[in-house]
Amino acid sequence: MKTHIFAFTLSIVLCLTARAGLKWDQTAIELHPTVTDKQAIGHFKYENTGDKPVKFKSVKTSCGCTAAQTQKEEVPAGEKGEITATFNIGERTGTQVKTVTVETDDPANVTTVLTLKAVIPQQLEITPTFVFWGQGEAPKPKTIVVRAAKDFPVKHLKVTSSSPDFRAKVEETGNGQFKIDVQPQETNRLIASTLTIQPEDSQKIFYATARITNARAVQ
Amino acid sequence: MNDAPTIKHQTSNFLNFVWRIVDVIVGGIFIYAGAIKVFDPVQFAIDIDNYKILPWPIGVGLAFYLPWLEILCGLALILRRLYLGGLSILTGLVAVFLVATIAAKVRGLDITCGCFGHASQNWNFSAHLALDLATLGALLALSFRVMSGNRLQDAV
Amino acid sequence: MVKSSLVRQALILVALAFVPGFVQAIFFWDKVSWRSPVPASEMVTVTQARAWGENTIWVDARPDNEFARDHVPGALPLNEDRWSELLPQFLAAWSPEKKVVVYCSSEGCNASREVAHRLRKEAQLANVFVLEGGWEEWLKEKR
Repeated sequence: MKTHIFAFTLSIVLCLTARAGLKWDQTAIELHPTVTDKQAIGHFKYENTGDKPVKFKSVKTSCGCTAAQTQKEEVPAGEKGEITATFNIGERTGTQVKTVTVETDDPANVTTVLTLKAVIPQQLEITPTFVFWGQGEAPKPKTIVVRAAKDFPVKHLKVTSSSPDFRAKVEETGNGQFKIDVQPQETNRLIASTLTIQPEDSQKIFYATARITNARAVQ
Repeated sequence: MNDAPTIKHQTSNFLNFVWRIVDVIVGGIFIYAGAIKVFDPVQFAIDIDNYKILPWPIGVGLAFYLPWLEILCGLALILRRLYLGGLSILTGLVAVFLVATIAAKVRGLDITCGCFGHASQNWNFSAHLALDLATLGALLALSFRVMSGNRLQDAV
Repeated sequence: MVKSSLVRQALILVALAFVPGFVQAIFFWDKVSWRSPVPASEMVTVTQARAWGENTIWVDARPDNEFARDHVPGALPLNEDRWSELLPQFLAAWSPEKKVVVYCSSEGCNASREVAHRLRKEAQLANVFVLEGGWEEWLKEKR
């Protein structure tokens, strides 16, 4: 907080000589989308506090997953507006930081970097999401550990295998942790199965993969 | 003989006071800048690396060392202990940094200064340059003042 | 005389600063990567990856439309927008002796590192690499 106050004061002092153009409300926004949100949207508001119109020369995002829209190409003096950054969450997890680099024709502020930080809640942590056996390897069960996040208590976990060639058994090990024992019927054929993992009372479905691979090495 | 240059004495006292203020401001800037970097040495190491002048391991070492040097030298300016040493180190640091910054810009590297920690990442290049030139100016002014010899006994 | 006291003072400050700096470095010993910003073993050049020949699985971490336009011959798409949809087909092509090389548009793009990280952490695959320079570098080497 002190950092921002000092930096803010200093930039005011520096800007006193230049007739400041675009002033941003915030250049860093932190969002907390919910589990079911598909997008996280940040509204970067600005105001042209100078006496000349400011034109946006380019608006570039750090990745293809984020789109940025300016409402207008040119901002007349005294006008306000915003750049809307839409981050498509997809199946990303954890804290995602995406930036929007804005270039204007304002000599005091040619480049501004807007930062969008999205903290994506992760309901379950599945380790590993992939278990495999080499062809001919002994068909012993392998374990997948599922850990529920502290803010998302899970009472019951439903696990189904897409193929009857693989059997999945769920066991609660306490403290929001579960283990899934996966076992193939045989390992001679290159068979596979997608395990559907669904917490009780949740819309969200998670996946894990089990398969037999042609391998010389053993996992 | 003693009461002769009274006005001159008052003026020089006032000037001394002004220079002390400059000492405190400049010293304060470096203590502040150093303190911010002390809290996130990893980020500072990354910022140093962005200049692509030093190999990574050296950058990491500097990331842990430089902020403390800045703090100590800033204190030297304010407390007037080891003043000359502090002044010369800080002048050297700012000069080297300015050269590195201009070199990076010329090479087209994308750098966030890193001098004020990542808080300053949203400032533009000219704002940074202006502040650094101003700081260098103040440091040089303080140096010239010391070298002009009159107040040498004040600088410990 | 001024010069010698200046040097003496400067040396004292330079030496003093080592103490807290050293203490802090000890504190951060495990929290910082001392040898390189990204562990060197994660990155691979186009030349190196091509030298692995048949043993390489190329993974394209770019958005679907870019993959559709053009991609490394034989590459499989795997991005974070449709992760669980695209992962099974990648895993079907994978086997333990293969080397996975993930790329996105260029050096500056982060998607390849993120996809590689997920493959290592979630699927726990070994031999997952990120292509230095990305698709841009591949195009250059093709000539």
